[in-house]
Amino acid sequence: MSDSYILEVKNLQTYFFTEAGIVKAVDDISFNVERGSTVGLVGETGSGKSVTAYSILRIVPRPGKIVNGKVFFNGEELLSKTEEEMRKYRGKKIGMIFQDPNSSLNPLFSIEEQLTDTIVAHERISKQEARNKIIEMLAKVGIPEPSTRIKWYPHQFSIGMKQRIAIARALLLNPELLFADEPTTNLDVTIQAQVLDLLRTLKNEMKMSMVLITHDMGIIAEMTNNVVVLYAGKVFEVADTKTIFKKPLNPYTEALLATVPRLDIKKKLEPIPGNVPNLIELPSGCRFHPRCKYATQICKEQEPPLEEVEPGHFVACHHWRELE
Amino acid sequence: MTAKKENATKNGTSYVKQQTEKRGASQWAVAWRRFKRNKSGLIGLFMILTVFFVGIFHNQIARYPARPNPDAFKPLYENEAGEPPSLKHLFGTTTLGTDVFSDVVHGTVYTLYVAILATFIIVLLSVSIGVISGYLGGKVDDILMRITEAFLVFPTLPLILVFARIFQLTLKETTWSLPFIGVKVPIGLTTVILIISIFGWASDARAIRGEVLKIKEAEFIQAAKALGSDSVNIMIHHIVPNVLSIVIILASLTMASTILTEAAVSFLGFGDPNSVTWGYLLNESYNDLSITWWAEVFPGLAVFWTVLGFNLLGDGLSDALNPRLRE
Repeated sequence: MSDSYILEVKNLQTYFFTEAGIVKAVDDISFNVERGSTVGLVGETGSGKSVTAYSILRIVPRPGKIVNGKVFFNGEELLSKTEEEMRKYRGKKIGMIFQDPNSSLNPLFSIEEQLTDTIVAHERISKQEARNKIIEMLAKVGIPEPSTRIKWYPHQFSIGMKQRIAIARALLLNPELLFADEPTTNLDVTIQAQVLDLLRTLKNEMKMSMVLITHDMGIIAEMTNNVVVLYAGKVFEVADTKTIFKKPLNPYTEALLATVPRLDIKKKLEPIPGNVPNLIELPSGCRFHPRCKYATQICKEQEPPLEEVEPGHFVACHHWRELE
Repeated sequence: MTAKKENATKNGTSYVKQQTEKRGASQWAVAWRRFKRNKSGLIGLFMILTVFFVGIFHNQIARYPARPNPDAFKPLYENEAGEPPSLKHLFGTTTLGTDVFSDVVHGTVYTLYVAILATFIIVLLSVSIGVISGYLGGKVDDILMRITEAFLVFPTLPLILVFARIFQLTLKETTWSLPFIGVKVPIGLTTVILIISIFGWASDARAIRGEVLKIKEAEFIQAAKALGSDSVNIMIHHIVPNVLSIVIILASLTMASTILTEAAVSFLGFGDPNSVTWGYLLNESYNDLSITWWAEVFPGLAVFWTVLGFNLLGDGLSDALNPRLRE
């Protein structure tokens, strides 16, 4: 429980017990977040990125259940806390931003009412104080005329503004850690850049750590210090961002990077063939082998362990030496 | 050319105006505009307003006072019992010697009392059970829904009759003065209302639960959870306001059904003998149907008018508040 980590996730397993069978959405995921850094969780749809975040906050929707693992936040184990103790962490010490601000803000309430809701869940302060706090925060995230707009309803804002409000709501109580679950996926490219910029500025200003969930390698390059590559609920590679881009040692990471257009190398874009596997009936051995161009017999039979190939660089692949 | 241009600008401005109007309108204003376009809904609203009007001014509208005031039987002393409808007695008179029009008008008050109190209790029960069951899910949901289903499979009318009779037998007083306001409430009728409510919430609770199941998947619920709101706060602040439209629709339809149930109970002779409701009037004159049909038809029409009104209103509200249902 080293002090330099704000968040340590160890062997986290979250399964969904559906009628069709057990969906192993998060299957033995471990990673750490250094204080003040940004960690990117990257992977395709269905790789368990969001469920990992939900599991850490313990808000996994039914029929999902955390079946195993430990989560240390500032050295305190979260999964063994009572629901009421846990509630005090949500929003207060750990904030979260969601993908779609159109649906993450309640359409029936004004901005003031919604943000006050978050404050009163944790603090007993007067209405006036709460309003001042909200106005200050709205100004910080770049909402013009916050003292009049505070009375507005979500539908009166553009989508970019809505996401700024969602950010303001997540940061209202100065959390130490922020989860951003694909915060820019639904935004125009120009607004994406603005929102990412805002997130980075606020993160430094408020001395937060951040876990950024995305499938966009461009955002990863831009925003993160470390990257965790997830595939079908498993960690495939962990490294600092530079290493991931310069020297990926997992075929899946390599394949992900090959889907991003690059200006420095003249190369055709290569899509990854096939889809993320059915999480109820996973392929035998390495779960990526049906889509992997390096796959051999051993990949079908044995699941590769997560090996530390150099300090801070972990890879789960039988053939990482060949990629080196 | 210029005329065309002018026309275009005119259209342009009116379009912009329309748009700003639309944007500025609150959710309720939008719903009202949709409601206004619905003819049957408006007719329903009008019918209900007439009922409320008659209920509020019943003492001014009726020619004779309400029973048990002996003046209610004045036609009997004037030798006008069992008369067919005339200008003096619009709906005729009963063989007992009361004016049917006055009876029906005074009955309106009871009907509104039944509709409002029973619906209030049913909405309270069904919203709390539906929201708790739908939102919490799991074991709580299982238990609450099994109870709800148990209430749904009961043959409710016979049970209501049994309980109504049992409670009527144990009652000693007929009215009870409300503290502070001093309004007298008929105890027998109130008991009937309570029994109707206890057997009437189940289907509404199920419908509300279904709506909650939809709402709780919304991301803003997950967001509220992620930012530290507790379940109670989420249910009150996020779930209930979002199911309000369906609650309003259900309330209107529940008013119709509770009126109908109370009329049935009273018609079968299990109602409060001290409250002259429309159902009671139907029961009273039933044996003289071949002589004084008017004593039967007009209270029946009153029930018909009110129930139809609430149903039309409910359908209109449903179209206005839940437009997606229509498509």
